[in-house]
Amino acid sequence: MTTDLVTQHSSISPATLDTGTASPSGYLFEAVGLEKKFEDGQVQALRGVSLSVAHGEFVAITGPSGCGKTTLLRMLGALDRPTAGTLLYRGNSIPDLRDPSTYRAHEIGFIFQAFHLLPTFTALENVQIPMFESDRPISERRDRAIMLLKSVGLEHRLNHFPAKLSGGERQRVAIARSLANDPSVLLADEPTGNLDSENTRLILELIVRVHREQSMTLVLVTHDMSIAQRASRTIQMKDGRVVSDRSINDHRSIE
Amino acid sequence: MTFFTVVVRGLTRRRMRTGLTLLGIAIGIAAVVALVGISHGFSQSWDAGMKARGTDVVVSNMSSSLIPKPFPASVRDRIAHLSHVDATCAILVDVMSIENAEMMMVSAREWDGFAWKNLKLISGRMPHDPAERAVVLGRIAADVLKKKVGDSIQIETAELSVVGIVDGNAWVENGSVILSLPLFQQITGNQGNINAIDIRVTPSTSAEDVGRLCEQINRLVPEGRAMLASENISNSEAYRMVKAMSWGTSLLAVLVGILGVMNTMLMNVFERTQEIGVLLALGWKRGRIISMVLWESALLGLLGGVVGVLIGAIGVQILGATPVIRGLLEPDISIGLLTTSVAIAVAVGVISGLYPAWRSSRLTPSQALQG
Repeated sequence: MTTDLVTQHSSISPATLDTGTASPSGYLFEAVGLEKKFEDGQVQALRGVSLSVAHGEFVAITGPSGCGKTTLLRMLGALDRPTAGTLLYRGNSIPDLRDPSTYRAHEIGFIFQAFHLLPTFTALENVQIPMFESDRPISERRDRAIMLLKSVGLEHRLNHFPAKLSGGERQRVAIARSLANDPSVLLADEPTGNLDSENTRLILELIVRVHREQSMTLVLVTHDMSIAQRASRTIQMKDGRVVSDRSINDHRSIE
Repeated sequence: MTFFTVVVRGLTRRRMRTGLTLLGIAIGIAAVVALVGISHGFSQSWDAGMKARGTDVVVSNMSSSLIPKPFPASVRDRIAHLSHVDATCAILVDVMSIENAEMMMVSAREWDGFAWKNLKLISGRMPHDPAERAVVLGRIAADVLKKKVGDSIQIETAELSVVGIVDGNAWVENGSVILSLPLFQQITGNQGNINAIDIRVTPSTSAEDVGRLCEQINRLVPEGRAMLASENISNSEAYRMVKAMSWGTSLLAVLVGILGVMNTMLMNVFERTQEIGVLLALGWKRGRIISMVLWESALLGLLGGVVGVLIGAIGVQILGATPVIRGLLEPDISIGLLTTSVAIAVAVGVISGLYPAWRSSRLTPSQALQG
């Protein structure tokens, strides 16, 4: 049904990040004492989160609703800013990026629970949307979008609008879109939350395949422990704090 | 897929709303085209009439109305002998309701004056003498009044014969009822009065000499003002007022268009808050999103402008064919007016899009994604 997800990871744009491809510590992401208080001052989503993520890791962040896992994911993707603490990507401070849009366009691929496809664009056009921020010529963007949609098994749905696609198909389009600019990191926020069990299985397999074939770093937020078990590392959160951080080879709890 | 595709899709997502907004701009622009086209057409038609009669300078008093104020015919004698004056022709002109026509230009000319010379007979004959109770009709006037040679025509209380149909080589001339000056003075009780003197200057008179002639006449004749024929109507206060009212009404219509587009674009931005959040999450720069909103509103303006120009041009042609307007003026729908109108529409679009674009640029990706 699908073809290989053959891509090349982007190099880091000097306009976005000042240094080379790895931080001195070797981690891709490093967070120290991250806090997030929303503007109304009533809700504190993160309370001193510290963690690090290595290149190529598959990290699942779990926890009950409201524990701050989505907020943390959005900070990793420069969609939101911490109110305190340090957050680095390859040694560079994400909140201080001169051009966060370039970082989001070239380093990060987002997959959302609600798919967030643009309703007035076909599957093929949706996948091309992120490529407006790339240097690819128009014809190459189209070819690449077709290749990506083929790779997620949607070659027969290229010209369908999202409303004409099933939930599973929509999420596959979203996955293809997240890969449009060869990101280094996939950030998936409850990617199977709106799907039935069969589609959950298929989408999860697809995401894991992308991660493996491209040695891509994958950070996946889920409240479903059966999904989290597919990850090489599971970070559990509660009330804005990390309460446990376990990997397959290291089952120690940090608290 | 090009950026233009993205812009077009933004407008086609709510077709009814986009269509109604487009219609709003179109009506505003149609008003610009129609009102300005008609007022400009009046000036153009009048100037063309002067040119067709071979008039270089006009002495009249058009300070407060489109129909000049009367003054004694003896003024002509003070002018006729001036150097560079080749010929003069005393005129008494009025716009009157004649039979079924609500507004009809009546042009009475000094017998044997040069203003008769440009009239080419299409049918019938010219009046035999100034006392003959007869008129000739411009071909449009004949058409509007539904008269032919041999019919009679009532001007005020006088019943006159239509003895000829003429072509005057200009819209105003063709839309006029033309008769001898003494006859019209008698009919209207204006004995001894005229309200314009057409002057033809001697050939090879320089523009400077014409200017000096006008100054000389203005010193000699306090009753009227001498002006180049081509500037006569455009310099009148009444015409300026009509022009100002045309633009004023047009600007109001355009303002309504601006509010319409702004409302639509704001709705577009509000409705698409989450989509804008997605675009930001996918790495779109704020500048690209601002550009998208502005291009959408500019395109809306452009389409509204094109439709408006079409409606305006067709509307003016229809108006120009009505008995009230027909014969008085030829609407002037110039390429300049059309392109200016479309440019105004695009400007309306861009101006209307500025605030929505600014609003869209202030959205943070995280807030926008929450909708």
